[in-house]
Amino acid sequence: MRLPSSLALAALAFSSACLAASWSFDDATLTVSSKGSGADGGVKEKLSPNSPSSKAITLPAVDTLKIVLTATEGSTGKRPHQAFLTLHEPTTGLEESFPFSLKENGKGKVEVTQKDLPYQLLTSASPLRASLILASFGSSTPYASHAFDLTLQLDTTAPPTAPTTPERYTPKPVINHIFKFQETSGPRVISFFFTLAVLAMLPVLFGAWALLGANVDHLGKAFGSAPIAHGLFLGSVLAMEGVFFMYYTSWNLFQMLPVAGVVGTVAYISGSRALTEVQERRLAGER
Amino acid sequence: MKSFEYCTAEMRWLFASLLLALLSVVHARSFNSSRLLVVTEEITEKDKYSTFWGDLESRGFSLSFASPKSPDLSLFKHGALAYDHLLLLPSKSKGLGPNLTPNMLVNYINANGNILLALSADQPTPPAISSLLLELDIFLPPDRNALVVDHFNFDKASAAEKHDVLLLTSPKPLRNGVRNYFEVDGSIAVPRAVGQVLGNASPLLAPILRAPSTAYSYNPKDEAEAVEELFATGSQLSLISAFQARNSARFTVLGSAEMLENKWFDAKVKSQSGVEGATANRAFAEKLSAWTFQELGVLKVGRVEHYLNEDLPKGTANSSEVGFLDLNPKIYRIKNDVHFSIEISEYVFTHLVPFTLPPTDELQLEFSMLSPFHRIPLVPTSRTANSTVFTATLTLPDQHGIFNFIVNYKRPFMTNIYEKRTVTVRHFAHDEWPRSFAISAAWPWIGGIGVVVAGWVAFVAVWLWSAPAEDGLRKRN
Repeated sequence: MRLPSSLALAALAFSSACLAASWSFDDATLTVSSKGSGADGGVKEKLSPNSPSSKAITLPAVDTLKIVLTATEGSTGKRPHQAFLTLHEPTTGLEESFPFSLKENGKGKVEVTQKDLPYQLLTSASPLRASLILASFGSSTPYASHAFDLTLQLDTTAPPTAPTTPERYTPKPVINHIFKFQETSGPRVISFFFTLAVLAMLPVLFGAWALLGANVDHLGKAFGSAPIAHGLFLGSVLAMEGVFFMYYTSWNLFQMLPVAGVVGTVAYISGSRALTEVQERRLAGER
Repeated sequence: MKSFEYCTAEMRWLFASLLLALLSVVHARSFNSSRLLVVTEEITEKDKYSTFWGDLESRGFSLSFASPKSPDLSLFKHGALAYDHLLLLPSKSKGLGPNLTPNMLVNYINANGNILLALSADQPTPPAISSLLLELDIFLPPDRNALVVDHFNFDKASAAEKHDVLLLTSPKPLRNGVRNYFEVDGSIAVPRAVGQVLGNASPLLAPILRAPSTAYSYNPKDEAEAVEELFATGSQLSLISAFQARNSARFTVLGSAEMLENKWFDAKVKSQSGVEGATANRAFAEKLSAWTFQELGVLKVGRVEHYLNEDLPKGTANSSEVGFLDLNPKIYRIKNDVHFSIEISEYVFTHLVPFTLPPTDELQLEFSMLSPFHRIPLVPTSRTANSTVFTATLTLPDQHGIFNFIVNYKRPFMTNIYEKRTVTVRHFAHDEWPRSFAISAAWPWIGGIGVVVAGWVAFVAVWLWSAPAEDGLRKRN
């Protein structure tokens, strides 16, 4: 494994104008273990600088993810200024970096537990991309590469507490007022039917009266003897109904009352004369 | 009556000319709302930024330079602002002097003054500044010496070893629906910057320029070998942060004062991958200073109108004849159809232009009593020479009371708009209810009344003029 890469490095060295070393790492192991299980339990995986690990790593709630490696500049172990394990959340783009604690010869480790992760990474729906970044000052080519994918197994009995949603200036949800129930009339067909049924009662009524012998035979006689009284009386009865109709449709009380007073007076005076005439007929035995 | 003339003709002339001269002097000073004060400790330092001063002056700002130690430096004069804008360059001393205490700077912002505060990793940040920024929820590294480096995005031409000159692409929009006022063509060089971390709770903060994901902040004195305890990394580090107060005064924290220097305005830089080019620092500095000093991202509200949108007289369907309408009435009735319009312009450097909403953003109208009954979008319907008119139509709720039309538009990087118009909403009057003949369910009953009336009149006629019934019928009874 090391021979072809150093051959490639030598080729690069001959071809490029300046000899530029590059950062990388060796002997990288990733372990996921809980406190009591020791070296045997948990996941153990070797990491290679050239390709990401194909195995998906899972970190349960109480376990610790530990990566041990030796950082190298060129072919010698050396401590870079920046040695991070960066966890990147793909949907929101948020990321968090954890620094390695390395000795002078480049050997060191980093340990991550679920407690160290912020809420947004803990509750990520897709696996987090873990990258290793090794870089320092100077002209060496820095190293940053996707190392593995990390899935988190949250503790279902103690879910992480969501931080309060911060206030941000965005459009707020649309609200359309829901109006109270509006009374509506039933179908017009039914209204028509019953209106016609009611109006049909009028001819039925007249028919029943006719059967019982109702008539207006003395109309000529009455108008002959007191035409003005009967005319005015009938007119005032009809006019009163007219006043009521106008009050129903457009007039207000103060427009209607004077007219009703006039019509009522006419009805009283003409009516008493008309009734006198009726009394005359009654006394004559005609009623 | 003895009238004593205390004003001869000559005196009157003198008086008038003196007044005119005085007026012109007063005119020149009071209408100038672009007074910029630059506070820098070393007056010789200001020559390093001479291109930037030239650009500001060409945009109409009148610059004054002062040292924080000067005794007659005051931000306020007779209770009003002495300077409309303030630019603070990094200072070596422990504070900004007795005339620029954090308290006075906060008062300055509350009086609508704008501040551009420049920091530098070369000089330790005074504790007064750190505590002022803490009030705004902006966190600086606790070590007073702090520097942002990036081993992947640095300028190979000037910082091949130290990696402390970051080379960044133009910033992207903050999020969907927020306009990006800081876009430039080219890369931006940020030398020796102090990174800031913005608190999550405040909606008034927004990062203008974030560090790339491989950047980090460290203390060059203590952490020269390796960095073990991180202040912040990657895009959590904000290199330039913006704070817009609720009165729309702006406070920008610029992490690298050096990026405004002449030598960085058109420096030749080389990226990590070897691509060479010139920096876009001059254009970026123009956009940054324009936003901070209220030349960009300023919104102005014109006319706000509302009127009843029903029973318009014939022929005024499109209502351009405002005279027919009762504009902005004080009282409406429940369930009225109301038309609301608001005119908004945006000020861009020198003049007003019609305001366009950023894509996916919405301008909303709230009709609310204590809480909104309606919150509906306002759509742009027409444009004048320098404004856009946004309108909405709504049906007033069936609740009577005192309501407000509220347009509450607050977005990062734009002035806050809050327009409130109060109206009364009354209930139906006794003669506004639908008449019974208009209610179809009442027709049978009205028919019944008609039948009763007709029957009554017929009965009166029959009673008055009937002859007794025929014998046949009576006998049967």
